[in-house]
Amino acid sequence: MGKEYLGEFEELVLTMVGVLQKEAYGAAIAEEIEKRQDRNINISALHVTLYRLEDKGLIKSAFGGSTNERGGRRKRIYTVTNAGFVMLRRMKDGRLELWRLIPQLKMSGI
Amino acid sequence: MEIDPTTKDVRDMNDQIPQWPLKFLRAVCPDHLIEEIEGDLLQNFYKDHRKFGQRKARLRLTLNAIRYLRPEIIMRNKFSFQLINIMMLLNYFKLSLRNIRLSPLYSFINMFSLTIGLSSCLVIYLFISDELSFDSLHSNRSSVYRIYGVPHYSGNGTQKIALTNAWTGPSIAEDFPQVASFTRYWTQGKMTFTNGDDHLLINSVAAVDSTFLNIFDFNLQSGNRATALAEPNSVILTESTALKLFKNTDESLGRAITIQDTEYKITGILKDTPENSHLRFDALLSISTFGKNKMFSSTWEGSFLNTYLLLHDGADNKELESKLSDFWIRHTGIKDPDKGTTLQLQPLSDVHLQSTDMDHDYNNYRKFNGTYLKVFGITGIFILLIACVNFMNLTTARASYRWKEVGIRKSIGAKKTQLFGQFIFESTVMALLALVLAMLLDLFLIPFVNQLTGRQLLLSSLFAHPIQAGLLVAVTILLGLLTGIYPSFYMTSFNVTSVLKGGIKTQGRSIFQNSLVVLQFGLAIGLIIGTLVVTRQLSFMKNTDIGFTKDQIILVGMNGEVNKKLEVLRTEWLRNQSVSGVTASSQRLGTNLNGWGFKVKTDTGIYNFVPSNLNVDFDYLKVYGITLNDGRDFSREFLTDNGKAFIINETMARELNMKQPVGIPAGQSWYENDSLGAIIGVAKDFNYNSLYSKIGMLAIVCKPEWGYDEISIKIDGAHAKEIIPALKEVWDKNITTYPFTYSFLDEHVDNLYKSDQQMSSVISITAIFAIFISCMGLFGLVAITMNKKIKEIGIRKVLGATNFQISSMLSSSFTKLILISFVMICPVTYYLLFKWLESFSYRITMSPWLFLSGGLITIIIALLTISYHTIRSARENPVNALRYE
Repeated sequence: MGKEYLGEFEELVLTMVGVLQKEAYGAAIAEEIEKRQDRNINISALHVTLYRLEDKGLIKSAFGGSTNERGGRRKRIYTVTNAGFVMLRRMKDGRLELWRLIPQLKMSGI
Repeated sequence: MEIDPTTKDVRDMNDQIPQWPLKFLRAVCPDHLIEEIEGDLLQNFYKDHRKFGQRKARLRLTLNAIRYLRPEIIMRNKFSFQLINIMMLLNYFKLSLRNIRLSPLYSFINMFSLTIGLSSCLVIYLFISDELSFDSLHSNRSSVYRIYGVPHYSGNGTQKIALTNAWTGPSIAEDFPQVASFTRYWTQGKMTFTNGDDHLLINSVAAVDSTFLNIFDFNLQSGNRATALAEPNSVILTESTALKLFKNTDESLGRAITIQDTEYKITGILKDTPENSHLRFDALLSISTFGKNKMFSSTWEGSFLNTYLLLHDGADNKELESKLSDFWIRHTGIKDPDKGTTLQLQPLSDVHLQSTDMDHDYNNYRKFNGTYLKVFGITGIFILLIACVNFMNLTTARASYRWKEVGIRKSIGAKKTQLFGQFIFESTVMALLALVLAMLLDLFLIPFVNQLTGRQLLLSSLFAHPIQAGLLVAVTILLGLLTGIYPSFYMTSFNVTSVLKGGIKTQGRSIFQNSLVVLQFGLAIGLIIGTLVVTRQLSFMKNTDIGFTKDQIILVGMNGEVNKKLEVLRTEWLRNQSVSGVTASSQRLGTNLNGWGFKVKTDTGIYNFVPSNLNVDFDYLKVYGITLNDGRDFSREFLTDNGKAFIINETMARELNMKQPVGIPAGQSWYENDSLGAIIGVAKDFNYNSLYSKIGMLAIVCKPEWGYDEISIKIDGAHAKEIIPALKEVWDKNITTYPFTYSFLDEHVDNLYKSDQQMSSVISITAIFAIFISCMGLFGLVAITMNKKIKEIGIRKVLGATNFQISSMLSSSFTKLILISFVMICPVTYYLLFKWLESFSYRITMSPWLFLSGGLITIIIALLTISYHTIRSARENPVNALRYE
């Protein structure tokens, strides 16, 4: 570990999985991102990212219940692993530290 | 947002889900992920359906589904089937390489025999396809026919005559609507072309109709295809002829040129005739030039040109052919069908390969006996079969060395099909490797074959068509599969436990293996006997007494001027010590002599018939060494010997059924009955034709005024070529209009049997290869057998057997097999060779000795081959074999 980095979209998806908790499955994650970030998500790209995160051991998955709303297909519910949390935290800390290094801007025009 | 799953809403929507995007998804996505992906997509679909309506929802589902076609998804599939197979094949490949390395001798024999088999097959294939490609450049090929005649002459049997008269073509085209066009092809032989001060002898010039280039697709470089030969006195030159006369071809078009004494205009330049065309010419004259020519306009006398018909699409040639006898009667008025000529049509595609029985077939370049192609094909298959037998036999015999491998693979869970696949794969790899080696070998072999057969075969022509090249690889793979099947089956068929216990290692050769050896040697013996018989027949033809001298005779072409100065030339040449005779004749011996009408006055009246005819100079019989049974030779002392004296041959004397033919009044058919000459002599029969045909009736006349076509010069001493300059010197001093051209009679006679000669060399080479490959196989097989018998030999030696007893015991089983194959192949070979010999009127008889010596040669070669192993095994110290017992 340590040398693993996440792409922007990967980070977003990983965060969303953490946010949605028990409701974290493909379509829900996509909807949530669309709603909160106002960006269009290509569902196949989302899936690919989820699988990649799972490969990296940052999330894990298990089948949840099925609903008619999905044509009887079961949901795959993703949960963030410990490694995933470590990664999220490290990225947040890293960002904040960089943010602090930016010379404070004076808000002009006030 | 919660949705009640049981609402009617949702159930309605279910019907509208497009199915094919889902099917597509299932094909693309890995099985363990498909459920989730589909679920998410469907969930979106329902949402979209409510939000945007049915149409848009369906569209979005489809688009989203297609987006799953991406490597990150597809690669998540477990390519269980393909991936493992690729790995396995690599492993198999490694194993085959290891196997080759571990047993270099057997692998070498396997590879080498396959390589030789394949390379000879390739050469034979190239040869056959070259022969079959003849005249294929003409797009009208399937509807062009050559007319030939079958004259009903008494005496000479049925002849097919490739020539017709000038009148036949135009009249048929006029009478029958199914004939689209016709062209005549009238060879003029060598002609002198004069451009300014340059005199050039052009070898083969032909006069043709203006339709010639419409019927045949010869490549016209410049000039107008349709009209180039329409006007009288037009000539088309081939490129190389044009370049002999002019600096470049462009300059020559439209120029005037003198041919013999007539002025012609050059109206076209033609690409040189391709090697695979039966018509070969250096220049084409418009036949309309000869309209006023006496010989040409008297259309009824004789047959002297080829006529080709182009039929309309769908016209029935058989139907047309059946109407030609009516046509003949209608135009000639000859009512009696026994006197007329039956006209028949020969398809253009048959002209090259099916004309062996055609007489007067002068315009048929490199004519080949088509039935020999079958012989070639069969020998090709034979040799490949022999090579395959080696492969099957050796692999099977070597099986015991690989049983451990098989046993272990089986015991750790290899399925039988997998093992089977491995062995098949190995044999296929071997076959493909052999194909590559065969190509390399052919690079050296083909120039040699070309030299031997006078062909221009090219290995690269195999790759001219991608289909052909693909087929070649496919056939090779198939060969690998087929040869691999039996050994693979054999090697995988053992019980694991007995294999690992080492129990069945000493198994002997199977019936299958033995019959393969019988097959292999049968084919080899057949080819050897075939070679013996064919070469015997050929040397018989070469050495048989054909009744006249063919050695040391130089033939020199002549024209009108030479005819006039014949006496001068003769006198000057005869001064040369080495020249023993000079004579001339209208035709060359060894070509089919023209038949002329002839009549003989008998007690009951005039008897008309058509024997072969020859117009000769006075010294002809002397120069050619033709002996007289009765009567006398032509002599200058008798005035009537000029045109009124005839020498007939024995056959004719017999046919005439006269006790004393000498003195009987006789003459050519156009002689008036009251002005006949007389038969003055009966010559001993000589083979004026090839040995394919029986000697027929022949009448020889001596009439210098009719002119001769060729001078024959008899040379003393062996160095004919050294005398040529002296002869030429005399010629150049006397003759101004015709260059000195010469050839040798013996070469011409040998040429008659070129097809046979070529077949003989191809068969001999394959026979040598066949016996070579067979013996290599035998060598390997014996080595393996010896290994298995090593203990038996040891025990026998300990019990007191001598070396000789042991080696003869070891050889005897193989000798038996070869004897069996000899007995089995003899009847087949006899039948095939008998059929071939039947085509000759003069042939050898097949003595049993030929067959026995063929078998004996094979057995001796085979015994020599195995002697290395048998003697070595017999001399081996038994201690080595029995030490570990």
